[in-house]
Amino acid sequence: MSDNFDVVIIGGGPGGYVAAIRAAQLGLTVACVEMRGTLGGTCLNVGCIPSKALLHASELFDEANHGMGQFGITTGKVTIDITKLMTSKEETVKSLTDGVAYLLKKNKVDYIEGRGTIAAQGSVKVALSDGGERMLSARNIVIATGSEVASLPGIKIDEKQILSSTGALSLKKVPKHLVVIGGGVIGLELGSVWQRLGAEVTVVEFMDRITPEMDGEVSKTFARILKKQGFTFKLKSKVTGVKKTKTSLSVAVEPAAAGGDAEQIKCDAVLVAVGRKPYTQGLGLKEAGVKMTDRGQVEIDDHFQTNVKGIYAIGDVVRGAMLAHKAEDEGAAVAEIIAGFAGHVNYDAIPGVIYTMPEVASVGKTEEALKAAGTAYNAGKFPFTANSRAKANRQTDGFVKILSCAVSDKILGAHIIGADAGNMIAELTLAVEKGLTAEDIAYTCHAHPTETEAVREAAMATDDRAIHM
Amino acid sequence: MKCKILVIGAGPGGYVAAIRAGQLGLDTIIVEGDRAGGTCLIRGCIPSKALIHAADKFEQMSAHSEKGHLGIKLAAKPELDFAETIAWKDGIVDRLNGGVEALLKKAKVKQIKGWAKFKDAKTCDVETSDGIVTITAEHVILANGSKATELPFLPFGGDILSSAEALSLTEVPEKLVVVGAGYIGLELGIAYRKLGSDVTFIEADEKILSTYDKELTAPVQQWLKKHDVAVHLGARASGWQDNALSYTDKDGKEQTIAADKLLVTVGRQPNIDGWGLENMAVDMANGFIKIDKYCHTSMKNVWAIGDVTGEPMLAHRASAQGELVAEIIAGKKREFNPQAIAAVCFTDPEIIAVGKSADEVKADGIETIVGKFPLMANGRALTMEAADGFVRITARADNHVILGIHAVGPHVSELSGEFALALEMGARLEDIAGTIHVHPTVTEAFAEAALAALGHAIHI
Ligand SMILES: Cc1cc2nc3c(=O)[nH]c(=O)nc-3n(C[C@H](O)[C@H](O)[C@H](O)COP(=O)(O)OP(=O)(O)OC[C@H]3O[C@@H](n4cnc5c(N)ncnc54)[C@H](O)[C@@H]3O)c2cc1C
Ligand SMILES: Cc1cc2nc3c(=O)[nH]c(=O)nc-3n(C[C@H](O)[C@H](O)[C@H](O)COP(=O)(O)OP(=O)(O)OC[C@H]3O[C@@H](n4cnc5c(N)ncnc54)[C@H](O)[C@@H]3O)c2cc1C
Repeated sequence: MSDNFDVVIIGGGPGGYVAAIRAAQLGLTVACVEMRGTLGGTCLNVGCIPSKALLHASELFDEANHGMGQFGITTGKVTIDITKLMTSKEETVKSLTDGVAYLLKKNKVDYIEGRGTIAAQGSVKVALSDGGERMLSARNIVIATGSEVASLPGIKIDEKQILSSTGALSLKKVPKHLVVIGGGVIGLELGSVWQRLGAEVTVVEFMDRITPEMDGEVSKTFARILKKQGFTFKLKSKVTGVKKTKTSLSVAVEPAAAGGDAEQIKCDAVLVAVGRKPYTQGLGLKEAGVKMTDRGQVEIDDHFQTNVKGIYAIGDVVRGAMLAHKAEDEGAAVAEIIAGFAGHVNYDAIPGVIYTMPEVASVGKTEEALKAAGTAYNAGKFPFTANSRAKANRQTDGFVKILSCAVSDKILGAHIIGADAGNMIAELTLAVEKGLTAEDIAYTCHAHPTETEAVREAAMATDDRAIHM
Repeated sequence: MKCKILVIGAGPGGYVAAIRAGQLGLDTIIVEGDRAGGTCLIRGCIPSKALIHAADKFEQMSAHSEKGHLGIKLAAKPELDFAETIAWKDGIVDRLNGGVEALLKKAKVKQIKGWAKFKDAKTCDVETSDGIVTITAEHVILANGSKATELPFLPFGGDILSSAEALSLTEVPEKLVVVGAGYIGLELGIAYRKLGSDVTFIEADEKILSTYDKELTAPVQQWLKKHDVAVHLGARASGWQDNALSYTDKDGKEQTIAADKLLVTVGRQPNIDGWGLENMAVDMANGFIKIDKYCHTSMKNVWAIGDVTGEPMLAHRASAQGELVAEIIAGKKREFNPQAIAAVCFTDPEIIAVGKSADEVKADGIETIVGKFPLMANGRALTMEAADGFVRITARADNHVILGIHAVGPHVSELSGEFALALEMGARLEDIAGTIHVHPTVTEAFAEAALAALGHAIHI
């Protein structure tokens, strides 16, 4: 067992393991250090995958409960066994994390279980999970240590009553009333899970709308749809404290602006979903002289290199969207750069998806951003109520909105609320990535009957020539 | 009556042509003898997909009631009130039919109800409820569509159904035999299986879905097997008597099989008889109306679009042609030259084919590379219990330009938009691999298939 590697990657999340595989494919010797006990990072263990498994199951439950009557299916009494639900979720997670272990092995990546510390430029010390220590010498080091839950001052997460996303992914029973602090992606997804399974859900959001970074029209429609599903929103409000009694919690909520009356919300579970922060604890960055930003991120140049030569960083621990596919793309790019090729990530074409029902997906610029930049644009919108496949699938909530340059017709941004928005955004991402025009989409034959036809109609609507509207 | 454009048939070809013509300010009349919406909206794509959706849900609920599933349990078996299912489906059809009429009106297209009969290439009589109307037009767009092919020894009627009747039954047949395992037969047969019918297929060819390769259809074949659907290949139906179908099996033996209903889905043929086509001096090709790349027929200012002009008989082809003809008449420079028209089978699992497979281009001497990515290795597919299938890309070996994209898997139909765009833009494998696909979505399998073709997929 050699301790010399071309690349040592610290962290086995989507950023780290993809970097490892790609580097190995390019012929480099690679070690991947991970302390969690399983590979896949936040994403596979306590993020994207378990949340999507619960969203899928809770959606089926919800459907069985309410959704069938109108076309002649009666379901009678429907129950949910949370233990079984969690077991099936864990099975999915395990099959995927095992899968990553298999991929590392197949690509001859040395998977080292333990906590890595940068001992000096070119060397990584690993406190092995089995005990003992191993010193690795590394021509290149990639920091891919990801992120952890951000907390609020004075609110201590105990993962029993006061939860982070991780706790909310493994509750043992359905809370009666769940208060979600933060109306962002994670809060709304997990809020949806428990709302469908029977909880009353109240979301407290500091800004004047949920998902504040999204296109305004989209987030407005989205809020309306969630309200219809039973969500309660307290906007422009902040949580100042949570009081615990034996059986319940009392959440103190105040208007975001100074002044105004505080109010107490009684509940039995609180989910703190106010964001995530880079995780660099115990990495030895200070000692190694690696510069950080004032937001706690590892500072990198345009080629993922830190101020210390031979030390790179990618994923949630650096600037940019905290998304698994962004981390993966950076992982592949950094591996290519280290191997001597031209790795590259286009930050203007990174799509994002919220997996509620309906889903919300977007890529490129919002209407607000275009206005602020003074860009002349055309907006084309097409509702799913006018799409026949959506009708047949009883999924008519939402619309496709395309923003194109008024001069060149190039697609600048696209936003979708719709049952299958997550898959549909791929076509528009390809369009943004390749600088295609709305006309390019309009002149592409889209299969009937599919919901993708709404994408084409929205493209035509930028030129006021939609057919089915 | 006189007009600039006369459209015959208000299916997805005709009504789209008319709306586009109206948008462009052209004086347009559309004539429809049945209901606006055509085969597609009234007795084809839409009602079939509605039924498929309902059947899918019924099956899903049944699964919950048996062992319980993901912790979800139904106290009792779900019950199906099929009359209600059909009423729901009819409601959707009615709304779409009304919607098309409203769109035509909004585009200022004049709608005339009745069957058109041509006296010459530019003049027709329509028998309406208010008597005969004669219309003369500068341009005629023929969008008469198609109808189910009837076998002479299995005439439609009674318990012998075409796809149209199969979409409006009053109860779920206990035993359904389907002659013809093409996409229409399979879509409906699978839906009825899910609703509880005992289903058998009789197919003359050696495989189901004969236009697709075996790799692509294998998951559907497995579904059929797993759900006890018998498929008799190389078998020829020969007659129907006392609710039993007689057929010759692949070994040449005469067999009979009893059924409550017999669905015959052996193809579709163009509507070319009985409306005076012979008076229009329009050339034909293989039984269809012959058109050039502008959808123009051999007769000046007579155009034809959609199913009446041949394969692929798909709604989106008809619509694309309809738009194009309206634009050409309005003076725009267009030709019908799509790189790809996606074909989707809404079977279980679904199949998409866009462009060509390696086998199909072999004859042209093109060297190819193929990348395939199984949905088993896709996180989203696993969380949705929809991992049975794959995405496959075929590209030229020399310059990596993508020639074809095929996929099979539950709900993959919504991937077809990106597939079509990729072919239409002339994308190379690198273009797809270099585009960030959201995690976790099934679309990641597309990027991985491109990487696989390039020799460096990440997740396999
Ligand atoms: C509930 C939830 C849902 C989410 N849903 C989505 C979604 O749907 N789509 C999406 O794109 N993103 C989603 N995300 C975000 C996504 O999970 C992250 O963006 C992604 O995991 C970042 O990848 P990464 O490799 O940078 O870091 P991580 O996945 O966080 O991986 C870092 C790994 O490094 C390890 N590590 C840290 N320090 C050390 C050390 N010193 N030594 C050894 N190992 C170390 C950690 O144990 C961890 O496993 C979600 C996140 C959460 C919490
Ligand atoms: C069960 C089934 C499922 C299908 N599923 C799909 C699918 O999923 N996707 C897909 O792309 N395609 C599907 N199709 C095929 C699709 O329906 C056709 O390709 C499409 O409808 C063709 O459009 P069209 O406008 O050419 O003709 P049609 O839709 O057939 O419309 C022609 C119209 O013209 C009218 N007409 C004809 N002659 C006259 C006359 N002389 N005077 C007045 N009116 C006249 C007819 O009444 C009819 O309404 C399906 C078909 C069936 C039967």
